[in-house]
Amino acid sequence: MIGNFLDQFWSLTFGGLSLGFIYILIALGYTMVYGVLRMINFANSEVFMIATFATVIIIRDVYNFTQTSEYATGFKLWLILGTALLASMAVAGILSVLIELIAYRRLRRMNSGVLAPLISAIGVSMVLAETMRILTDSRPVASPRAMEKKFIGKFFDADIRLDNTIIIVAAIILLTLLLAFVNRTRLGKAIRAVSMNPNASKLMGINIDGVVSITFLVGGLMTGAAGFFYVLKYENSSFSIGFELGIAAFTAAILGGIGNIKGAFYGGLSLGLLETYASFFLGTQWKAVTVFTILVVVLYTKPNGLFGEALTQTRA
Amino acid sequence: MINLRDKGAEIWEKANRPQRVAIAIGWIALAVSLPFLGGTILNTPIADYQSVLVYPIAMFVLMAIGLNIVIGKSGLLDLGYVAFFAIGAYTMGLLGTRTGLNTWEILPIGIAMAMFSGIILGVPALKLRGDYLAIITLGFGEIVRIVALNLGALGRSGGIIGIPTPPPIFGVEYAFDSHRVYYWTLLVIILLAIWMVRRLSVRRAGRAWESIRQDEDAAELMGVPTFKYKVWAFVLGASVGGAAGVFYASKTLFIAPDNFTLQISILILACVVFGGMGNIWGVIAGAVILGYLPDRIRFLSDARLLVFGLVLVIMMNLRPDGLLPRKKREKALPNKENP
Amino acid sequence: MKKLRLTSVAAAAALAAASLVAYAPASNAAAKTITLAFQGPLTGEEAQVGQDELAGMQYAIKLFNAKNKGKYVVKVVQADDQGDPAQAAKVAPGIASNNKIIGLVGAAYSGATIASLPFYKQRLLPMISPSATRVSITDPASPGGALGLPVFHRVVVTDRVQGPSLFKLATKGVASPKVFVVDDQSAYGVGLVDYMKPGIPAGQSAGFDSVSDKTTDWSATVSKIKTAGANVVIYTGYFPQAAVFFKQLRDSGYTGILAGGDGVLSPSFVTLAPASVLEGVRLTAGTVPLADISTKLEADFKKKMGKASGVYAAESIDAANIFLSCIAKGVSTRAAMLSCVKAFKGKSLTGAALAFDANGDVAGGAMNGFEVRGGAIKFTGPVK
Repeated sequence: MIGNFLDQFWSLTFGGLSLGFIYILIALGYTMVYGVLRMINFANSEVFMIATFATVIIIRDVYNFTQTSEYATGFKLWLILGTALLASMAVAGILSVLIELIAYRRLRRMNSGVLAPLISAIGVSMVLAETMRILTDSRPVASPRAMEKKFIGKFFDADIRLDNTIIIVAAIILLTLLLAFVNRTRLGKAIRAVSMNPNASKLMGINIDGVVSITFLVGGLMTGAAGFFYVLKYENSSFSIGFELGIAAFTAAILGGIGNIKGAFYGGLSLGLLETYASFFLGTQWKAVTVFTILVVVLYTKPNGLFGEALTQTRA
Repeated sequence: MINLRDKGAEIWEKANRPQRVAIAIGWIALAVSLPFLGGTILNTPIADYQSVLVYPIAMFVLMAIGLNIVIGKSGLLDLGYVAFFAIGAYTMGLLGTRTGLNTWEILPIGIAMAMFSGIILGVPALKLRGDYLAIITLGFGEIVRIVALNLGALGRSGGIIGIPTPPPIFGVEYAFDSHRVYYWTLLVIILLAIWMVRRLSVRRAGRAWESIRQDEDAAELMGVPTFKYKVWAFVLGASVGGAAGVFYASKTLFIAPDNFTLQISILILACVVFGGMGNIWGVIAGAVILGYLPDRIRFLSDARLLVFGLVLVIMMNLRPDGLLPRKKREKALPNKENP
Repeated sequence: MKKLRLTSVAAAAALAAASLVAYAPASNAAAKTITLAFQGPLTGEEAQVGQDELAGMQYAIKLFNAKNKGKYVVKVVQADDQGDPAQAAKVAPGIASNNKIIGLVGAAYSGATIASLPFYKQRLLPMISPSATRVSITDPASPGGALGLPVFHRVVVTDRVQGPSLFKLATKGVASPKVFVVDDQSAYGVGLVDYMKPGIPAGQSAGFDSVSDKTTDWSATVSKIKTAGANVVIYTGYFPQAAVFFKQLRDSGYTGILAGGDGVLSPSFVTLAPASVLEGVRLTAGTVPLADISTKLEADFKKKMGKASGVYAAESIDAANIFLSCIAKGVSTRAAMLSCVKAFKGKSLTGAALAFDANGDVAGGAMNGFEVRGGAIKFTGPVK
């Protein structure tokens, strides 16, 4: 078993890493909002689901790919990937802001605590998932293959695949941009200020509603990017994919320490790798059990998560 | 908007003892007579009205009362409540099919099993910050389901078939299709649970929970053994879930891991918050409505879950504290800046 | 302002609900109205299987109603059980006590079937399931005898028949097969594996894995398959996951055989992955997809139902047709329907003989083999 594991180590690791980066980006949708509002943004999983559909529609309907089409190459390929990524991010960002307006804002103004928005968010999730279900005839949809899944090299014994590489590189770029935004810009500073102390920020003249909207927008943009990467890697979507991935990403956020960006990063990576290794060793059916057991151990020994510090203290 | 809760409390407080007894009897009589109102507008299309009264309505009420001890009384967010329901149901399933024990004999065993697992989960989980309790309990709920899905002894995905119905008690027969007998029995169990919660909340435990919910640090400083009372709340909540599970398995004759998904935990949580966390009458109202609604609106066919979701969003926005919120003075102090 | 927005949302929702209520098909007063029911998951996460089957049943009824204009109008009551035994247990007594309903197509899932059976048995409502494959429902050797007697029938072959056939088809023509079997943790997938396992000769098994049907990343399973050196991979589950799994397996460089059961046999399956990836996938089923019966049939289905036929389409049409043929004979009560179904001898959509044995299983129960070629599922003859 150990010998087999070592044989497969690098290919498992690459699979786990690219999955991990998808988790990271969805986890940011939870963690950004939590950092500012101390609230579980339950509907984020369905924002992700809608974003995957945006990518599918761009590839399938806008660029007219089918399962028998030739793969795109060169400039056209990058154009397609670029449009799909931007479309997914835009859809998810806007949707996220709308959800905040419709389902959370009034409750926040009434100071209703954390549970009422949670239930409202659960309602929003049901509405989004069921709407998509009706629109898709309850069926999964496929994104035709626009980019060949070619091997671009070898690392030890493992094949390095183009799509995994794109996901990892692009996600790192996005994360760098996000950190720069939060740490270096005025708006980022405002977000950190609200996260640290909403009342004092208000007194300092910060527009809290505006900051909250921006936070949802940024969280949504990251979740939308995750939707694009998901479709690039797995080439399918369905009205029901949100729930499971949302729970996983939320777990990742907590594993790393919810409320801070670094935490989402390390949490997502650990979870992606952990799930992949555990599935290999113990059988896929025990994956969730392993993950949660490790989560309990981690939280017990490090009560703030692996890298638990607040959003406010993040330093790039 | 009128505050139904305050109105109700006003009437209750003004009433003298005989009037109070009359009010209580009136409500109980209404609950008892519900199975006979199937011919009215209350009737559910497609699903059987009397079955709907048993599951989901009465079951949800019982579970919501149990979860309310955890969330509403002591402010602990539990997203894995279905685990205790499952443990009770599987205890009934296993012992009922493998041993000669009957439902009433298994009931205390099932409750004990649920309480025991409540301790196993609660002791490490409650040492953690409140925010993390949600994910730990969620994980526990999933673990219980996955174990049931993968252990041969528990029937794996096939579940357990042929669970016996309860034996007659006081001459009342439990045929598998006499839904109202099950409903009335559940009503008795619910009343017992309400009685237990009310007794506890006016005593030391109730005051301890209240202080924990309002400000845990202050409670600890004042000498309340907060950890002990948190575990206690957790275990009591678990016991109600376990009892519901045992009785449920004995009613449906067949259980499978698919019955115990995370969605149930979320729905029960929704019942508690929707109705009015911390106020037992609100919780009951929430469970009745959310249990009943999906079956009442079956005529919408494809769109029924969509409409159900819309109702959750709209109602939470209109009444953020729930339908029948707890009294104002019982509300928690505003959150401190940083937990 | 705030208030206004909320009320308008509420009003819009109410309006949407009202317009849905207002919609009801006009019925023909002169004709005799007969009611059948369908039970399966129609909302929630499992809805796809139920919606596909319901479409099959409605298609058959549409044809029947058009053909018997003025004589019969057959209606369908949709009993949504979300594929959940707990939901089934409250829907079933409602359907059972609704005496207008004289036949039920369903339940789609075995778990829901078992939870519903006591009520249908008590009220003697004849059922024909298009997709509940669990053996114990009709197996007299199961504890307590065949659970489904006397009301339960099915037009789908059981796990006991399909499990070994699937293995046979998958390993056909392979000199030294090393078979890796993956199930989806559902009662359907696990059941198939349970009946396949004893028939796998020693030395031909490369391993097993059990992967939740919610899984999207298969890299661990793919690694296991490569480590085990398998050259035949069998997936027992449904087509959405099969497409994702096969894709990831092929993309990792696996070149061996891929195979799946009737849960994979859906026209949608081939739309979910590039044609080059699915080329050569072997499938078994007790029936055949509509497009293989005739392309005209599939085209007509698409025209009438507004979507391509789905999983268990032929089975659902067969199940509905059995009831409809009885209705055409003048059957209008449950008792008459039950004896008519039991005595039914006719042809399935594929032209094969269709009848039930004493336990309610489809008699004969021959298995067909299929292969994906050029992005379409092609019939390759019975599995022998």
